[in-house]
Amino acid sequence: MRPVALDQARVFIIVAAFNEAASIGDLVRDLMEQYAHVVVVDDGSTDETAELATEAGALVLSHLINRGQGAALQTGITYALAHSADYIVTLDVDGQYDVKDIALLLGPISDGTVHATLGVRASDHKPSVRMRLASTLRAIGKLAGRLGLRPPVPAAHNGLCAFSRHAAQMIDLKLDRMTHGSEIVQQIVAGGLNLQEIPVRVRVSDYALRKGQRSSHALRVAFQYIMARFTR
Amino acid sequence: MSALQTFIVLLFVTLAVLTLAAGLRGTAPKRVVAAGLLLWTFGAIATIWPHTVADLAHALGVGRGADLLLYMTTLSLAVVCFYMYARFRRVERQLTLLVRRLAMDAAIEKSPPQLMRSSIPSSEPVRRSESGASPRLLT
Repeated sequence: MRPVALDQARVFIIVAAFNEAASIGDLVRDLMEQYAHVVVVDDGSTDETAELATEAGALVLSHLINRGQGAALQTGITYALAHSADYIVTLDVDGQYDVKDIALLLGPISDGTVHATLGVRASDHKPSVRMRLASTLRAIGKLAGRLGLRPPVPAAHNGLCAFSRHAAQMIDLKLDRMTHGSEIVQQIVAGGLNLQEIPVRVRVSDYALRKGQRSSHALRVAFQYIMARFTR
Repeated sequence: MSALQTFIVLLFVTLAVLTLAAGLRGTAPKRVVAAGLLLWTFGAIATIWPHTVADLAHALGVGRGADLLLYMTTLSLAVVCFYMYARFRRVERQLTLLVRRLAMDAAIEKSPPQLMRSSIPSSEPVRRSESGASPRLLT
């Protein structure tokens, strides 16, 4: 990847945080070392997440009540766009990645190769099923769009995503609870923009493992998708 | 007509009157009023002449009147659940938009977008194309 001198002032980092007092401070400090705009969306936390994030230098947007990670990320994206962000990075607090790797995701966007990048685990990175599906889905998506359907898209990412302004404008997360991964990919793909997976070193912390994902999530995501189709 | 039957029929009539009143006051949508009146009328008829339900069940190929009632109840429960879920989702969505708006307003009070932009030291003039099909090259 060729190095690109990126104007850091135009990069906005969006962190959705719900009761993350244990780790939010360190994460924000790490991010602030490299990026000027770190936006923490405090999703109705009951601990001192907001205070710690503010202390560490982040701009904090406060959801008065918990609305889910998808909703929180959308709030951050909306805010960043309103503040003329040219690049938007979203990430999870329970980061299974190195903050330095954010630059890897921004590279292909800033040099105009793609509009969006997703971080994936470096260890199991071969052009994944997801990417092959994504390109198939682009075709299906166009057809489905014509039929008025929303294309199905596989679940995505390790919590790290980067978007160009144009891609971010296409994102409108409506499934507030935890299904944003698929929703982001689907909307980017449906918008006809290309995305790329970027292998990122995995740093699985005990913390992340504890929070984890259950495979039953997949069922719930599927259910919500189906219901969202019928309940406009 | 037994005392119990009379009581139940009176109950249905009361419900029908209440439904109609709500419709006339405009507090309930027409669809709901129509569905309500239909239901109460059916209930009253079924109470006064129980065999009509049995006849209907028979005509539909369902064994007994009670079975028909069970099927209809189950079906309407599913429909009601669906509508409640749709409504719930709508309210959730509105709630999210409201919470987002509040968060944005509070943040914008703290730092208005224009001020923020001008505070960024940028050597390059701001060019913004809303269509922006391709991200511009950065040097």
